[in-house]
Amino acid sequence: MTDAIRTVGCWERDDVTVAEVETALSGLRRHEVRAAVRTSVLTLVAVVDHQAQADAARDVVADLGARHPSRTIVLVVGDDDDGESGLDASATVHVVERQGTAICYEDVVLRVRGRARHHLDSVVESFTLPDLPVALWMPSRLPVPGDPLLTAADRLVVDSRAVPEAGDVLARISVLGRRLSVTDLSWIRLAPWRSLLAGLFEGGVNRPFLSGVHHVQVAGNHGPRHLLGGWLMRSLDLPRTAVTLTPAEHASIRLSAVADGRTGEFVVERPGSERSIVSCIDIDGGACVRQTLRMRRQWPALSLASALTRVGEDITYQMALSGALELAS
Amino acid sequence: MTSDNPLLEPTLDRVAPPAILVVFGASGDLTSRKLMPAVERLGLRRLLPGGFSVVGVGRTPMSDDEFLDRMRTLVAEGGGVGDEAAHVWDAFAGGGFRYVAGDYGDPDTYARLGRLFAELDRDRGTSGNRLYYLATPPATFPVIAAALGEAGLNHPDHDDGFVRIVIEKPYGHDEASAASLDTTMHAAFEESQVYRIDHYLGKETVQNVLALRFANAIFEPVWNRRYVDHVQITVTESLGVGHRGGFYERAGALRDIVQNHVMQVLALTLMEPPATFDATGIRDEKVKALRAVDVFGPEDVAKDVVRAQYRRGWAQGAEVPGYRDEEGVDPYSVTETYVAMRLHVDNWRWAGVPFYVRTGKRLPKRVTEVAMQFKEVPHLPFAASQAEGLDPDLMVLRIQPDEGITLRFGAKVPGQAFQVRSVSMDFFYGAAFLEETPEAYERLLLDALVGDPTLFIRSDEVEQAWRICDPVLSAWENDDVPLAQYEAGTWGPIEADRLLEEDGRRWRKP
Repeated sequence: MTDAIRTVGCWERDDVTVAEVETALSGLRRHEVRAAVRTSVLTLVAVVDHQAQADAARDVVADLGARHPSRTIVLVVGDDDDGESGLDASATVHVVERQGTAICYEDVVLRVRGRARHHLDSVVESFTLPDLPVALWMPSRLPVPGDPLLTAADRLVVDSRAVPEAGDVLARISVLGRRLSVTDLSWIRLAPWRSLLAGLFEGGVNRPFLSGVHHVQVAGNHGPRHLLGGWLMRSLDLPRTAVTLTPAEHASIRLSAVADGRTGEFVVERPGSERSIVSCIDIDGGACVRQTLRMRRQWPALSLASALTRVGEDITYQMALSGALELAS
Repeated sequence: MTSDNPLLEPTLDRVAPPAILVVFGASGDLTSRKLMPAVERLGLRRLLPGGFSVVGVGRTPMSDDEFLDRMRTLVAEGGGVGDEAAHVWDAFAGGGFRYVAGDYGDPDTYARLGRLFAELDRDRGTSGNRLYYLATPPATFPVIAAALGEAGLNHPDHDDGFVRIVIEKPYGHDEASAASLDTTMHAAFEESQVYRIDHYLGKETVQNVLALRFANAIFEPVWNRRYVDHVQITVTESLGVGHRGGFYERAGALRDIVQNHVMQVLALTLMEPPATFDATGIRDEKVKALRAVDVFGPEDVAKDVVRAQYRRGWAQGAEVPGYRDEEGVDPYSVTETYVAMRLHVDNWRWAGVPFYVRTGKRLPKRVTEVAMQFKEVPHLPFAASQAEGLDPDLMVLRIQPDEGITLRFGAKVPGQAFQVRSVSMDFFYGAAFLEETPEAYERLLLDALVGDPTLFIRSDEVEQAWRICDPVLSAWENDDVPLAQYEAGTWGPIEADRLLEEDGRRWRKP
């Protein structure tokens, strides 16, 4: 099913006030009759460092538009000095059509200059839609716990893999999680590994092995391997010594277990550069029962859509995070 | 079964356990049009586990490969997902798509099935789990159920396994035959193993009726006799019987639509809030609601029920034949293609509120909706001339098409004068969530595989639905109610209009 997306109006001006942007946005919507009906579910606020990131964020949001009709505010916050505050803005209104149903969504890109960069909450509040949740998305950075933007947000979406110098990123996310609900896109991307592994133990035959897991080996990048290891350590109530983490380009999990005198190896891995994940069950060295899952396309938008669908805390992620911190310590 | 898998996360999509889907009637229309597209989509959404296998059973001789090729081709021709799902079919090619040709009453068919199941359990890890799907004519249900029981294929061979059986409507042709079918099914299967499917319940928008009612505090307080004047439930089709004339002659609109789809929508509208949102909680409340529906006495049927048949007419710009001229239909048929009923509900919430239901073929539109008209205000403080355009408030739950909610209320017409007029506010479900929703069969097949019977019909629901419909069928069989006629492409017979007019009301035009 394909969506027809049309841009029905755009506006751009430098050195403007928030009120002028609001007026321009209302004007754009008035010109499109269908756009007069709003069916938004949230306000999404993205904070990026430069225009290229802003364009990338808008591309992701374009894919997202049909799933989460929203107003998106992209804040471009450079490394300017703390000089005179100013705002350059562009606003675009789009209509998505599918089978005769049309909805509209809009994005506003605001380049924030000077000291206003330290008061982004005051910029954002003017644009948030009434009575709807505000999701704060930081594609490649983490806010500090005292960031005033956090007061304007109901949910924080980050990507622990994309944060530069990520040594302590999980610990910093853990601190932020005490203040508001945090979704980590890196964890969302690991969902196929988790669901495939969990599925291996559905049904009566393999279930007994779950209580007999004695060793877990997780490979992958820094961050993902810790999260997967932490998740398994906590879920299966294993001692820290039962979990081995090794660096690798792609994530893989191997569970070694015994049950009723039988030994079982349960593996979920992404072989090479293929966009697929393979599982294998090996009981007593017998024939491997394999399953292959194709990874979906459009990962960035799908991950973000999945993150925005969630409300409340992700208890499993919290558990994985706590385990990951123990494994990293 | 899922609760003791600590790796299973409630926030992730449910994945079916390893199992064999055994389709009886594998060469039939339902299998290629509904079941296999559902399997394809479930595979594409990664909701089927490795080793998941399909076994087709049918009378038509076919090899395993022919069965797989045929299903793959038919699904593609019927608008399947296409190349994107190629890997789903490829994964079945290694022995996961099998076919057994045989007679449904022949023990040898089941002996061969038993051997095949053992092979698949061993080679593909299907863990002894089976989901039987009877996509066969209703007359074969008792035969297949009994044969599965006699072959010992009706129960799992270990505590964690499952064996379930899905049957399609109709569940009997009256209360007695439905009870007889239950007795036969229950001789081989526990009630908890029997999944009676009504694809209406798999529709997102039908489930949305539950969300609307029980997730919102603003609707529930007015959802009762104090505020509601009457309720209209409409389930109409613009098409005629097409090639189903033979089937329809035996069924008619009451058995085909009212006894199942209409009764399910009625139950969801009437029911009290369940204590828990699970299979038992919801189905208990639905049964309780249907039990409160007043049963027609012999004299009530003539007064409260209208049956009719369409005659030649113009529908959607084309001249169409009358029912009696359709293929497979008796030229002197008295089978009804339209039913309108006035129902009364004997409980505190609904006493005195009439529920008008109607269903029919060859009406102007295909529509399913529940329209709740509210009472007028006790005193209108405007002059009559100021409120000429004001109708009573109305809430419409549109189930198909244009799924959503319409709320009609009064507002001032802009201008110097004070004029009040009704306006409609529309909420389109699809415009708020353009997410791709699962097809009804896809949702229900997955539910049956994971063992969630919430959206399936329990034996006592079927019984209650027949309890309401049986007196109508008896009166018709006794010729106590004349068969009215309506022109194809119109909203039904004049007798149905009179049914409401005598109460000072009129049917909505959806």
